[in-house]
Amino acid sequence: MLERFCEVNNTFPKTSEILEHKGKSGLVFGWLCTYVPEEIIHAASALPIRITGHRQETELEDGSAYLYVNNCSFSRSCLQMGLRGEYDFLDGVVGGSTCDGARRLFDLWRYYIGMPFHHVLTVPRKYTPEAHTLYYSQVVQFKEHLEEFLGIQITDGKLRQSIELYNESRALLKNLYELRKLDNPLITGAETMEVLDASFRMPKELFNLCLNDLLRDLSNSTPTHQGKARLMVTGSVLTNPDFIKSIEDRGALVVTDELCTSTRYWSDPVVLDGDTPPLQAISQRYLNNFPCARMFPSDERFNRILELARDFRVDGVISQIIRYCVPYAHDLPLLTQRLQAQGIPTLAIDVEYGTSGSGQIQTRVQAFLEMLKVKQR
Amino acid sequence: MINAEEKKDKIDSLVRACGVLLRMNKARPDGRKSERMYYEMLANYYTRLQSARDEGKFIAAHTVFFPTEILYAMDIVPMHTETTTWMISLFTGECADLLSAGADLGLAPEICTPHRGLAGAFAIGALPRPDVMLWSNLICDNTAKSGELLMEVNHCPGFFLDHPFQHSEDEKKYLVGELDSMIRFLEEQSGHKMDWDRLAEIVGLIDRQIELFREICELRKAVPSPFHTQGFLELLTIDYLFPGQPEAINYLETLRAELAEKVSSGQGAVSNERFRLMSFFIPPMYLMGFLERISQEYGAVSVTEPFFTYWGEGRLDPSRPLESVAEKSYMIPEMRMYGPLDDRALKSIVSCAEQYKVDGAIYYADVGCRHSCATVKLFKDTLNKIDVPMLTLDCDVVDPTITSEEEMREKLEQFFELLEDR
Amino acid sequence: MKALGIDIGSLTTKVVIMDDDGTLSLNVTPSGDEPESSARAALKGALGQIELNLDHDLYLVSTGMGSKSVSFTHQQKAITTCLARGVYYLFPSARMAIDIGAESCNVIKVNERGRINDWVNHDKCAAGTGVFLQQMAKIMQMPLEDMSRLSLNAHSVPDITSTCAVFAESEVISHVHRDPPTPKEDIVAGIYSSVVSRIMTLCKRTGIEKDVAVVGGVALNSVLVNILENELGFKVLVPDTPQIAAALGAAIIARETIEKGLGT
Repeated sequence: MLERFCEVNNTFPKTSEILEHKGKSGLVFGWLCTYVPEEIIHAASALPIRITGHRQETELEDGSAYLYVNNCSFSRSCLQMGLRGEYDFLDGVVGGSTCDGARRLFDLWRYYIGMPFHHVLTVPRKYTPEAHTLYYSQVVQFKEHLEEFLGIQITDGKLRQSIELYNESRALLKNLYELRKLDNPLITGAETMEVLDASFRMPKELFNLCLNDLLRDLSNSTPTHQGKARLMVTGSVLTNPDFIKSIEDRGALVVTDELCTSTRYWSDPVVLDGDTPPLQAISQRYLNNFPCARMFPSDERFNRILELARDFRVDGVISQIIRYCVPYAHDLPLLTQRLQAQGIPTLAIDVEYGTSGSGQIQTRVQAFLEMLKVKQR
Repeated sequence: MINAEEKKDKIDSLVRACGVLLRMNKARPDGRKSERMYYEMLANYYTRLQSARDEGKFIAAHTVFFPTEILYAMDIVPMHTETTTWMISLFTGECADLLSAGADLGLAPEICTPHRGLAGAFAIGALPRPDVMLWSNLICDNTAKSGELLMEVNHCPGFFLDHPFQHSEDEKKYLVGELDSMIRFLEEQSGHKMDWDRLAEIVGLIDRQIELFREICELRKAVPSPFHTQGFLELLTIDYLFPGQPEAINYLETLRAELAEKVSSGQGAVSNERFRLMSFFIPPMYLMGFLERISQEYGAVSVTEPFFTYWGEGRLDPSRPLESVAEKSYMIPEMRMYGPLDDRALKSIVSCAEQYKVDGAIYYADVGCRHSCATVKLFKDTLNKIDVPMLTLDCDVVDPTITSEEEMREKLEQFFELLEDR
Repeated sequence: MKALGIDIGSLTTKVVIMDDDGTLSLNVTPSGDEPESSARAALKGALGQIELNLDHDLYLVSTGMGSKSVSFTHQQKAITTCLARGVYYLFPSARMAIDIGAESCNVIKVNERGRINDWVNHDKCAAGTGVFLQQMAKIMQMPLEDMSRLSLNAHSVPDITSTCAVFAESEVISHVHRDPPTPKEDIVAGIYSSVVSRIMTLCKRTGIEKDVAVVGGVALNSVLVNILENELGFKVLVPDTPQIAAALGAAIIARETIEKGLGT
């Protein structure tokens, strides 16, 4: 069922689709952060893929030498892969001014790796009309820079097509999550992570087909995950399904998540009505998107998390924050308070990017689950 | 519950400490007049803060690189949170208590000590409770994310000033809009109206201040260099705490005259200048005395700090005060490290190394400062290309458990030997 | 006049004597508890029964952790300065030297004149040093010498990723107590791999440049050096007695001082 997705994830970044695309003289742009409007890259007939780090936690000699040991292991991991040529097929990289780790990653990428196209969008931290005006101008600038680089015109028509395609992916992922909302979910958190990872690594056309197939298979499957504690995993970037599996192996089910690589990535569609120019619609959506911890006020993010927790009837939350991930670390005290006020306990775990969940983590999860059981009685 | 008595104590101790430093300066035959003025200014700053509550004045706590000139123009009492916390740590030796109080709030150990410390300081009442909390995203995530928790801890309203990442016209416009919103917020909260004439006056003085910074740094190019190695911290504090204030102008003019005098008589800050150094980031504050001593011992002087004292080009126009406040925020030396790191930053390093005839560089790699440490290798490589070696010292601005005087001495001595050997 | 270099380390004290004609004699003795007595004992061992007057017959340059506490030295130099000179003498083509000692790991970039361009070191934590390997040997309950031989039989190398020696220790312990336990040879290979990783991070901070010389006590461990060569992708230069590189550098400085007439 998941083989196609797993294949992509296991061979990334040099997947067969990417190599095939390059073989046909197609262009590939790497992006980092959910505030980069992917549809624009797609509308330029290029393949947007998300830059992520090593699949498993690994030695980060190069990453640490360049970014220093006190930058998050995610940024170090991404940079290391870049330095080692694993992203050498990229025609360009696009980032947002989102957090310190990301911005320094981009700075060093430009100096030490260097790609034909490099663009950073300023992303305001607020949602005011002025912030929207600024972000919109940034989106326009990005589009124009891309047009100039490629020597093409990105038409409104192409933008609409890309938006529709991406909205379809989002709708399909929403359907997938609906299957996790059920009392007896049809898919685990770890399995979902494989699908999510593939979502930003595959051409969306292909991804949508594969996800359609999966949804069809799942609708015919029998539920096997009943009676388990329902958990939500939140926090920093997470791409390793083994981490979620190590939690689920303790006898719980991760029914939803709030991560850069999950709900914060796909939840909100671009709203296209007849009148709004597509670029404006894109800009609206991306700034108003399910908030990253960098945005102000934090309650916008907290409220969305509480909403998720309610909708998915979550018993407990596991917060996994990468060491030196500052925005999320700052949010944690207030977030924990908000969740507690709703009667939802939180387990906070420090992790490194790519961790699969060591003995220590499993012990703590075990204890947390036992505490939840007691609470339920 | 915040203990009112406890609350006064910590600011009290800062006022007392300034008094002690003043007396020490007066007791020295070579005590610099400008240094006296500096301590007097600090003492006044904290005395004003101390009596603000009793006098019914409006206190605004703010983070680093904040446009404090706006507060001065509105007759609001400013409290610079990071600086005040550093000083409290230094003068009361209660750094560990502040950090532990920060940890109790749930702040992770990876959050830099100034921020963990200031949150802890508010929590235990070591910092006076402000009427409003103001913060911006300059110059890192720690600052950007600090405000909301502090609003809750202090039960006060707050305003987040969103400083855009790059320098385009649209972004400058956005920043001016943000400043405007903040002024309206402050007018509402404090009941004070913005005095635009006063702001224009202050902007005019800031323009003069920046000119003086440039002139002072020009004088430091002399061989031997006239300003002692930790002196740049005074310049930094002047910019942090007293933008556009007449006392600051007086201090800078006095300092300039003193340095000009030293230059014309060929007098250096150290008796036998052997090593001219470039410094990056801030050395551990609790080792300031030691760093001065070792500077004298080895004849090693910090002659330039590209991202602290080397001001960018540009003049400020008082007739457009708000736009000028926005413009100034882009001229601050540290701003070359904000925005996409480009040639501006690297060229300034090379330019400073050449202009100031630098022998070697020291990077004070603060363990909590991510965005800074990420530039260690890049800056080192840039300097190595022009044959200037750079020493990286792992340390912390405030926390004395990270590195000791012995460790620092060993590394510095090794580095000086390396420079000598060349 | 004899030129002497002495490197007082935490585990061993190394002495190098350089005669007028450049002949070298070397001596390595275990360090005692206290630098002054360690230095005296090492000198005695090196000079044998020859009674030499410290002020007329020899010029002594000292370096290493304990060198500041030695009262009778003529000149004291930083370990890095001595390493650079020693490596330059042994391998003039070396542009980079990795010194893996008992308690610290230094990486220096050396220019064509034998002067240091860049230096990074790692001494806040034991991971990546001789002491770490000794601790690991204790946990594995085998002599240090046996660890190398055993590691050659490893089938798969587990990742021991902690950057801190204390955490790395607990990772190793968990491998030993696992059910089923990770094979000893694999664990040892993992330990060596992690030591090499620490070294590689240091190297990357300065940028890797050939030729690379490896010195210090741990350089005697050919298995470890091999793993390092695999990571670097090329062969490194290791002198026959790698532990004496810094003491040699100190002796060279002593010789230079004598020749400049400053030794009298």
